[in-house]
Amino acid sequence: MFDPGRPLSRVRVADLTMIWAGPYAAKILADQGAEVIKIESPRAWDNIRTLLPPPVAPGEHWWNTNFYLHEYSRNKKSLSLDLAADEGKAVFARLLAHCDVVLENYRTDVMDNLGLTYDWLREQKEDIVVVGMAGFGKTGPEKDAVGYGPIIEMMSGMTSTSGYGDDGVPYKSGISYGDPIAGICAAAAVATALIQRQRTGRGQYIDLAQREVMSTLLGEFYMDWSMNRRLPEHIGAGHDWMAPHHVYPCAGDDDWIAICVRSDSEWDGLKRAMGSPEWAERAEFSDQILRWEHRAELDELVAAWTAGRTKTDAFAALHAERVPSSPVWKMLEVLRDPHLQARGYYEPLRHPEVGIWMAHGWLWRTDGAGPCIVGPAPDFGQHNAEILGGLLGIPRSEQAALEAAGVIATSPDGVLPASEMPATPSLI
Amino acid sequence: MSDQPQGRDSRDEAGRPFDGVKVLELAEGISGPYAGRWLAALGANVVKLERTTGDPSRAFGPWPDDLPDNETSGLFLYLNGDKRSVTLNLETSDGREILRELAENAEIVIESFEPGYLQQHGLDYAELSKGNEALVMISITPFGQSGPNASLPATELTLYAASGQMWLTGHPERHPLKNGGSQPSYQAGLNAFAAITGAYYGAVMHGQGSYIDLSVQETYAGMAEAFHTRASQLGIESQRSGNNLNALWGVYEVADGYGGICALPRNYPAFARAVGLEELQDERFSDPGQRLLNNDELMAIMYGWFAGQTRQDLLELGIEHRVPFGFVASFEDLSESEHLQSRDFFAAIDDDDAGSLTYPGRLWLSNGHDWKMGRAPSLGEHNVEIIHGELGYEREDLVRLRELDAI
Repeated sequence: MFDPGRPLSRVRVADLTMIWAGPYAAKILADQGAEVIKIESPRAWDNIRTLLPPPVAPGEHWWNTNFYLHEYSRNKKSLSLDLAADEGKAVFARLLAHCDVVLENYRTDVMDNLGLTYDWLREQKEDIVVVGMAGFGKTGPEKDAVGYGPIIEMMSGMTSTSGYGDDGVPYKSGISYGDPIAGICAAAAVATALIQRQRTGRGQYIDLAQREVMSTLLGEFYMDWSMNRRLPEHIGAGHDWMAPHHVYPCAGDDDWIAICVRSDSEWDGLKRAMGSPEWAERAEFSDQILRWEHRAELDELVAAWTAGRTKTDAFAALHAERVPSSPVWKMLEVLRDPHLQARGYYEPLRHPEVGIWMAHGWLWRTDGAGPCIVGPAPDFGQHNAEILGGLLGIPRSEQAALEAAGVIATSPDGVLPASEMPATPSLI
Repeated sequence: MSDQPQGRDSRDEAGRPFDGVKVLELAEGISGPYAGRWLAALGANVVKLERTTGDPSRAFGPWPDDLPDNETSGLFLYLNGDKRSVTLNLETSDGREILRELAENAEIVIESFEPGYLQQHGLDYAELSKGNEALVMISITPFGQSGPNASLPATELTLYAASGQMWLTGHPERHPLKNGGSQPSYQAGLNAFAAITGAYYGAVMHGQGSYIDLSVQETYAGMAEAFHTRASQLGIESQRSGNNLNALWGVYEVADGYGGICALPRNYPAFARAVGLEELQDERFSDPGQRLLNNDELMAIMYGWFAGQTRQDLLELGIEHRVPFGFVASFEDLSESEHLQSRDFFAAIDDDDAGSLTYPGRLWLSNGHDWKMGRAPSLGEHNVEIIHGELGYEREDLVRLRELDAI
């Protein structure tokens, strides 16, 4: 029966991706019902397993437990397989015959160095869809540049648009914004190529450069350069015609609320929310243009109102008057946002060595779909037997030989046992 | 499904993935039009329904020579290439009837009205999918169709705050900072594009469509990275880290602007080789834990080293040593980038009103299809072609519809 939330059911993906951008793409495919087989070498596993600290009191198999791994690899299966070894490559060739998609976000040259060229992949499965997600693409003079999200952000123009304006310093986003953006686009690329395969019977190779995807989210800046040879100015949290438009300090520790007014009627709403103070009737605040011209003074007056209340109290007053506003939610607070809770955005994730915690569910919700999260990130090599034995029919004796040769494994090579882990400060 | 175009070269034999797929775009601003723009570039027949005064994005700049004009907004032109524009007043019964007729054989509908609006007018998914079970329809709104904030008006700034993203951005001793442009709306548009392509594949394979409720807040909150999930799994709050999460992850001033480094522990050996300073081999920087304990000292070294580099030096060093170096590129740098030009990233598009301009274009390169990169329509440009030519209304009907303010 068709499950509307899982339109990609019966699509099988060989997922060679690591860290964030690629795993985010594969997660979106898995959430939509694709069978995503996360393939990692016993000698070169997804670095994210061991990059960040495991939960407090790391368990025996701590490489299966950190929060980052689970955020991006839930709903997937795990096959450990050394693609640099001939035996591993032979198994991969057999697996490809059962796959629709290969997804990779290696450095530009790695697939070819491993002998996993597009031609070779196509020899194993003629209509295979291959999506490569190198930061700068597979061609051009900068193809060998490497970069994680913030580098992608800097190199796309994104970082040049943000800053406080008084110091000339460009600011990056707080997250590695380039990664999820490339991931979402790669998920769309896979579905698009599958649609075309359905029409033509052919697969295709997609060269998706993370920097280029990010650039498409900056259209008006590119257009301004093309039209007027103008570069953006840094305007902090302000706006080029709205006022008030800022984040204002609230009672509490580093607590803020965002408030924006786009029209006279929203201004009237803000005045009512603030208890109709006398100053708000002054002539210099009487229309949108005047308010923008006097925005520095206006910001101080609004801040004096917000400073006397918590961000949730201020938000309740503004919400009642339909003024565009939101508390600046911290990480622990967004998890408890009453609106997201009412919509069931967060769903429980369970892992036997960690317990239960909440993770975001559907990025978009399809009418009639059940819960998004089916299972946690798979343990390293958890589905080796299911895939090698069940899907490929490789006898147990051969699987044992592969394991003895180090081609497959159920723990990554050379990882320290939990008891010997040094106390390391978190990277984030 | 429509006919494949015939008689092109080998790549074009396959046509484009959405050739002939009929899409109705009832969406304004950025998110929905962004998704619709890529469907159009991939071959879809996108009919954009605009209110009679036009998509409000027509009233946002930039404009050529800073001359505001409904037909030359850079934002609108960028987001609406290769679509056909029909004006329609849904407050009139004729307007609603025309929409119903257009939806009859549509395969994809993109809408961004306030929650409840289409239902009140008998135009929601339940109505539009009658007799059209394979219809894929997506609603894109700030907070989704349900919940206490569903009808709260929103801006880019408030959505940035509501998603948790803003808390993480900016200097720890200053106010949280907004990132540039309209990222909440753009990222939602990209998510919508992914949602539509996935759902449409399901419709093609199973003959069954779906209705999707996309919230800008939710798509954006979903990318709060490890910061968010660390809070949920370990109960640890994160702080704004400004431009430097740590010495090896951030932005530094260089001789001719700003540059950056993002090195994970495994990149350190190559990084140290590329920089070439002996002190980077010191015991105090010998493993990830040591480097974090001595982060301030490492950062001081980095400030000094970066100040002596140019942006081009960083790019070349990064390529030579495979180290994640980069620089803060401007739109001038990018527009003139040989690399991007060699990959045909830009499209030169001629428009009668706006002239010949360079647009950033296409999401990826493929050996299976190319991207159509044509101009955006003027307001109501296709009223006659579609309402008269395709729906079969008589010309005198058009006059009446105009007089009734329906088109």
